[in-house]
Amino acid sequence: MKQKISALMDGELFDDDAETILDKLKQNPDMQEEWRSYHLIGDVLRQSDNVHANISIAIHKRLQAEPTVLSPHKRDSHNARWLALSAAASVMALTLVAWLSMQVGSETVPQLAMRQSQNVQPANLPAHGLDDYLMAHQEFSPGLDVHGMTAYVHTVASQQEDQ
Amino acid sequence: MSEREVDQLLVDRAQHGDKHAFELLVTKYQRRLARLISRFVRDSVAVEDVTQEAFIKAYRALPTFRGESAFYTWLYRIGINTAKNHLQALKRRAPTTTLFDAEESEGFEDASLLHEVSTPENELMSKQVVDVVNSSLQELPDDLRTALTLREIEELSYEEIAAAMNCPVGTVRSRIFRAREAIATNLRPLLGTSKNKRW
Repeated sequence: MKQKISALMDGELFDDDAETILDKLKQNPDMQEEWRSYHLIGDVLRQSDNVHANISIAIHKRLQAEPTVLSPHKRDSHNARWLALSAAASVMALTLVAWLSMQVGSETVPQLAMRQSQNVQPANLPAHGLDDYLMAHQEFSPGLDVHGMTAYVHTVASQQEDQ
Repeated sequence: MSEREVDQLLVDRAQHGDKHAFELLVTKYQRRLARLISRFVRDSVAVEDVTQEAFIKAYRALPTFRGESAFYTWLYRIGINTAKNHLQALKRRAPTTTLFDAEESEGFEDASLLHEVSTPENELMSKQVVDVVNSSLQELPDDLRTALTLREIEELSYEEIAAAMNCPVGTVRSRIFRAREAIATNLRPLLGTSKNKRW
């Protein structure tokens, strides 16, 4: 049992063992003496030129006069860790989406524009045939307000020419 | 379970009404906190007074402690603030300090404990404790002395000590315990006769 007290104060016990030893420490004055003397030894070894007396008895008396602390919240480190991980993952995902959309907005459009300007060649049409060409393709003109009427207009124009 | 997790376990218990768990933390950290406070406050009586006050403040503030930092860093912060407040209070009441403190201490239940600190008897006792610990350490077999020194002074984990000493972790655990127990056996006669168990 004493060996477990020694390991407990070094943080080298498993969780269940630690709980058990703490329960026993609460009830056993001899074990409390071990806890006290082992810590005194450690304090002296670390700093032997300035060793302060044991004030735990005075504090014990003062604690008896204090109202007992009852914390309303139970600390749950496991849940807190998962919450933190979820939050971090969400932020990462949002950052990735934002970054990708910025890539599309800033790079793809100029690339497309460059391709259009490289691939499109000026039509090599004779000057006298230009009017016929425009007339034949006017239904594809983006500036025409009445797209539904183009076929009719074209037909009427052809009929007038024939007459 | 690491040392920090053991502290948190004790804090959890104290937060749920177990005062004894908090007292185990007091036993563990009292001298380290007192040493920190002595860097701000020179008077040894005041150092103990401020240390007690810091622990009481920490106990009252336990419901606000969520374990986001280690318990000892939180406690040290309270200790430093308490020491600074003590120094500011001293500056404010400097002209009437002597008379006021004397009246105050008479009404204080633990005044006798506080004023025992710097007596020649206590200074002698402190020296004896240090001598017994150091001489007992020197008398230990090499493997026990090395294991305890690596743990207490170098603050290595059992696993690190096992690697350094080329032995299993279980052996390290046993050596450290046997070293402590050997020193404690020599200390007990001294501690047992001490008035009020002040060591």
